[in-house]
Parts: sequence; C-alpha cells; structure tokens
Amino acid sequence: MALRDSIRIMVVDDMSTSRGLIIQALEEIGIKRIDFCKDGATALRQLAANPVHLVISDFNMPGLDGLGLLKGIRENKTTQRMGFILVSGTASRDIVEKGQSLGMNNFIKKPFTTDGMRRAIQAVVGAL
Amino acid sequence: MDHADIRETFFTECEDLLEALHDGLARIEYTLCIGMDAETVNTVFRAVHSIKGGAGAFKLDQLVRFAHQFETTLDALRAGRIVADPALMGLLHRSADQLSDLVQVARAGNDAACPNLLCLTHELAAAAGEDEDNGDSDAEDFGFSPLSLDLDLGGSDLTSGSNGGRYAIAFSPTRALYACGNDTSVLLRVLSDLGRMEVRLDRSRLPDFDALDWQESWLDWQIILETDEPEHQIDEIFEFVEDLCRLEVSPLPEDMTLEETEVGHAPEPPASTVAGPLKKPADEGRGSAPRATVRVDLDRVDRLINIVGELVINQAMLSQCVQDEGVPQRSPMRGRLDDFRSLAREIQASVMAIRAQAIKPLFQRMARIAREAATSAGKQVRLVTEGEGTEVDKTVIERLADPLTHMIRNAVDHGIETPELRASAGKSETGMITLSAAHRSGRVLIEVQDDGGGINRPRVLEIARSKGLVPENAVLSDEETDELLFMPGFSTASVLSDLSGRGVGMDVVRSTIESLGGRVGITSVPGHGTRFSISLPLTLAVLDGMVVDVSGQTMVIPVSTIIETLRPCPADVHGLGSGGQVVGIRGSFVPIVDCGAVFGYRDPVHTYDKSVLLLVETGRQKLCALVVDAIHDQRQVVIKGLETGYGDIPGIAAATILGDGRIALIIDPEGLVELGASPHGPGSEL
Repeated sequence: MALRDSIRIMVVDDMSTSRGLIIQALEEIGIKRIDFCKDGATALRQLAANPVHLVISDFNMPGLDGLGLLKGIRENKTTQRMGFILVSGTASRDIVEKGQSLGMNNFIKKPFTTDGMRRAIQAVVGAL
Repeated sequence: MDHADIRETFFTECEDLLEALHDGLARIEYTLCIGMDAETVNTVFRAVHSIKGGAGAFKLDQLVRFAHQFETTLDALRAGRIVADPALMGLLHRSADQLSDLVQVARAGNDAACPNLLCLTHELAAAAGEDEDNGDSDAEDFGFSPLSLDLDLGGSDLTSGSNGGRYAIAFSPTRALYACGNDTSVLLRVLSDLGRMEVRLDRSRLPDFDALDWQESWLDWQIILETDEPEHQIDEIFEFVEDLCRLEVSPLPEDMTLEETEVGHAPEPPASTVAGPLKKPADEGRGSAPRATVRVDLDRVDRLINIVGELVINQAMLSQCVQDEGVPQRSPMRGRLDDFRSLAREIQASVMAIRAQAIKPLFQRMARIAREAATSAGKQVRLVTEGEGTEVDKTVIERLADPLTHMIRNAVDHGIETPELRASAGKSETGMITLSAAHRSGRVLIEVQDDGGGINRPRVLEIARSKGLVPENAVLSDEETDELLFMPGFSTASVLSDLSGRGVGMDVVRSTIESLGGRVGITSVPGHGTRFSISLPLTLAVLDGMVVDVSGQTMVIPVSTIIETLRPCPADVHGLGSGGQVVGIRGSFVPIVDCGAVFGYRDPVHTYDKSVLLLVETGRQKLCALVVDAIHDQRQVVIKGLETGYGDIPGIAAATILGDGRIALIIDPEGLVELGASPHGPGSEL
C-alpha cells in the first residue's frame, strides 16, 4: 500500500478558504486520511487524543499561531514525534528561524501549487 | 468541494474579514488617545493577510499586490515602527475601502484597474517608511532545509501507548438496511477477513414474541477486531450501508476485552474524529464557513412567508367560523384553536426572523460615505455608530441604503461646519455624526445626529420664500420651518456641492421612508446640531391593526400610529370658519378628519357623539383626530400590497384579508390627513 493511502494528516487553519485549498491539494495528491481543525488550541487537544503522522498548519491564526502550535506539539510527549509543515503567506527570516529552532519539518509559502505541496510533504516523509 | 466552490467561500469569507478590518480600524481610531491595543492591530493585520493569502491562490494579482503593501504598512504599525496618527488612520481607512472595492471587482470577475490604486499603494509604502517591496523571499533563501521524518506506518507509532490496531466496533443496523436486501452475515464475514475478530450479539432490544414486529431491526453487534489494516479499511466495508446503520469504530487499548467494554458501547471514544458514525466528520465541515449556517434562496423564504401569511389568515377565518357557529366559550375546540393561533403566530415570527439581518453592514457603508463626503468637503468628521446588531428586515435594509446615504451626506455637507468655524465656536475641529439603531416598541428607530451648527432657520425661510414655497408674510414656528427641508424642490446649498446635489432631496428621503411604512422627523438646536429620526416597521409583511368601522366599511388603521382613542364630549368640538372642526383635548386643539367623508363614503357630519375619535400622530409630529364609527377589534393583519393592481392610492396604504374572508383596506393616516387638509379636501371632491 502506498504511503498516501495510510498517512494520516491534520490540517490546521482558521480560514475555511485556505483550509479548503490545502485539503483540496492533499486530496489531489491522493491522501485519504485527512483531519482538520480550525484553531491551534483545539488542534493540540485533538492531536493528543487522536494522533496523526503529519500536521500542516497555517502560521497566521488568532489565539495560538502556527509556531505556537508547533511548540505545543513538541512539548507534549504524545505528539512530539509528529511531522510539522508550516504554511504561511509571509516568509520572513524570523519565522523560518524560529520554526527551525522548534523542529519545524518543512515550510511552504502561500500561494502553493498541488505539486509544491507534494514536494513539501515528500521532503519530510518520503515518496507518497 | 471544487475550486469554484472554494473561490465562492473565499469571497464570502472576505466579507467577514473586511467587516473585521473596518471594525478594527474604527476601534484603533477610537482608542487612539489611550494607546493602541496590540490585539486589535493584530486582528486588522490578520484580516488583510488572510485576504492576500486567499487572493494569491486564485491568482487575483491586483488584489494580492495591494493587500501586500497594505499588510506591510500594518506590520510596521504593529511593530511600532510607525505611529497611528489621524493622517495614517485616514490612509488606512481609505485603503480598507479600496480593498473592499478590489474584492468586489475580483468577485465580479473583471480585473479592471482601479484608478487610485497606484497612488494609494505609494502612499502606503511611504507611510510604512520603506520602498515598495516586491514580494517575499522564499524559504530557501534563509538556508532552511526540510527535516525528514522516519515514519513507521504499522499504526503503532501514532500513540505512545500503542494499541496494535485493535478496534471496538458497535454495529446497529436499521430496519432499512434489511429492507434494502443487505445481509449482516456477509458484512461480518468480510470484516473477519481483516484480522482476528471477536463478535458478540446483543439481543437486549428483542421484545416478546407477541410484540415482535418482524420487519424491525432488533439485533446489535459488538465486535473487537484485531487487524494490521488501517481503520479506513473497516469503513470501506460498511461504505454501502453507512446511511442504513449506526456504526461506531474506535481504537481499543491493548488489553481491553469485550467484557470490559460496556455493553452496547465502545469505550469512551478517544476523539470525535475516530468514533461516531462512519461518515467522517472531516467530510462534513471541510472547507465550510466556521458558523453553522445555510444559504437559502431568498425566493424560497419569501414563498414561505407568503404561505405563512395565508396560514394566519386561514386561522383567523377558522376562528371566525367557530365564533359564528356559536361554539360555547368553554368548549375544548376553543382551547385548541387558541393554541393554533399562537402556533401560527410563532411560525410567522420565526419565518420573519429569517429575513432579519443585522444593520451593521449598512452602517459600515455609511462610515465610508461619511469619510468620502468629509474629504471632498474639506471637513473633519467622525462617524460613531450605535446598535449595529439591531436586526431589521432585509428589504427594509436594502431600501434604507439610499435615504441613509443622502442623510449622512447632508449631515456632513450642511450639518457639520468647517474646522475653522468649529474652532471659533469652541467646538472640537472634528465634527461628530452619530448613527444609531434600536428597537422601540415593535418598530426600528434609526437616528442620524450631528453636532454641527443646526438648521439655519432664517436662511431656510428666506429660501423657501424666494422659491415661493411659503407666502412672503407667513409666520412659521421652528418646527414648521424645519419641515420645509422635506418639501419637494427645496435645497439650501447656495452652490450645489457634488455631494448632496444629486437630484435627491430630503423630500425623496421622506417619501422612500414612508413607502416602507416609516416616518421621518427632524429636530434641531441652533449651534448644537440636528437630529433626523427614522421610525420603521420591523417587517413589511404583517402589521398590528385596529379594525374599525367607517360608514359600514371595515377598515384597518395601523396601531403604531394611534396615540389614543376617545369619545368626544360635544362641548369639546369646535367649528372653524373654513368648515373644518377641532376637538379640544387637554387644553390643545386637534383638527378633526372624518374618514368617511374623506373617502367619500358619506357627507361630512358635524356631530360626533356616536363616533370614536382616534388620535393619530402623523410624520410631521402633528396630531390629528380621525373619526370612525366604531372599533371592532385589534389584531395582527397580513399586508397585501395594492400597488401592482391599483397603483398608489392616496390615503390607503394596502389591503388585508379579514377572518371572514372580506377584504379590508389599510388606512395610511398621514396620507388621509393630507387628503383631508388639501384645498380640494373633504366635501369638495364628492
């Protein structure tokens, strides 16, 4: 069975538009098991109870932002081994460096293509 | 959800974001003197950023470029590199307006260039204190390299306490599952192919033989499945019966057995995404708006409103029949009928509520109108809104846009003074316009108040005289003078400014509002400002009416216009030289208008000892006593417009159908009073 059939991904984004776009790209790639969440705090709770292999999160969210979520994921024993890809409209050195120090697995800039998303995921988990 | 759907979602989401943006900017401006709230600036920044993000995905380049510069400037503000002074706030407001325009242009699908765009982009860049930057650099530029992850997809790496692919499955078929020819034994056999399976049959719902409905589904299964396959393989087996059964699949801790799980229940589901019916929650809300709403075609709602209107009429007819049949008061039928009435009313109110919308978007548009009007008039104006959450019928909101726009422009143009004049009068240089909405006794009250110079009454009189609207020697009270503003053909601006002089006068404002069943009034204090008050019905479909008798005709008068009802004492009725009459009520004289005579049902009468007087207030804040012969009832009536069939009939607002099936005309008191007061008034036209 291909990895895309079994890998389980959680998409976190407060905006239904960009959430929809990420999910659409994932579906086009052929990923079957996609969960989603509308904010960082809920995502942390859900991930602890219901783990996934990879989290794809927006940076710009009210409350807990993408990097805050990453920090939370790395601090919890249950979730610390999950992959994390940050999606952001702005690619500032600051954000990338902070992400790197928190153990961000990859980074993808908006707007992205399905291909770009595939590459970003494959760079983390291998061939899909 | 395909690309076009997401695109539509994006634009819907943009509306919310733009609202948050305008709100946030207003809040920043409002709290300017006490310092900036970081979270508000963040919210504003996020709104613009999210619009940019979405726009990028749909290749709306113009929108992206502008949003990017806007965002950069907001970022500078957020970081404290620039200060939110009034000039910057003005720029940000204009940029927000521009962004709204760009979104609208993009939604309409034409990427037409907006004229001010470049100019505004430069201004934003200058305000941010930097050169326009041309997009972000890529992550690679920062030397970021992806961190690969070693995935062991046996399923065990997901949780720290691994559960080795053990699932508790609760399977309860419905009657329909069997009716469709499905066989549970086949499903269970296929399931058993996935791994080792323990099955327990739950017969606890099975009734005694006598009570057994053989077509009903009585049996449930609890299954523990140990499998190497992923969970969705289980889902796939049940795919064809997912709507025909209740299915709960949840991962099971290592050493738990069937006996330990509660009968009929899987262990407390670890999370909602795994347990629950087979249909994954991920499929349900994916990409949809965060609030649970349905979008419904307005025609459907209106059809529903119409039908409910018929239902209410039908209910009234039924009540009338029961009344006529002489059914005793204590009869159970009466009780049921009362329930029916209150239920019908409740349905009607609920259906009306579907059409109700918060007035906020309309008010936000007005804020923009005020800004633009102030800029072009060289004045400083701040618009403060109150009661934005007030809900009003959609049609009322739509039709209110034009008159309100005109009133705001008027307030800026004629109400608020120039900054120099204000300063010399000891006022703040920035004029304030307050736009408020509130529910008042079953109506909506909207007020536009400015703190300007008030109405210049001598000037108004002078103009009215020069235009021949009032005779040279007429002496008018302050109120009467203010009323002149609403006269057709009146305009005080000596030079027509490009704002108010758009061919729409206050007379059009008044007639628009009256066509909505509303009234508009004006009060003004010289030197302190002017207030326009609009009072509107909550809905255009029903009305609380007083059912009266006029010369044998049953007619309805809106209760909202009636102040009191009285039976006059003959001594209080006084004749006037002109043939008119007044009635003395608590020391003041109120003109009498005989409905029967005005509508031509009868000749004018002069004694009212058998009649009832309804004291009504017309839009001009004048009282008038309408003569009717009797009051039958007070009830809610469904409004049926007459315009399509008969055009505009002076003195008649609409019609309704009464409980006995008869049609009754709904009187428009103001029109009636005008009709009665016109030179060809009562009598002469008969």
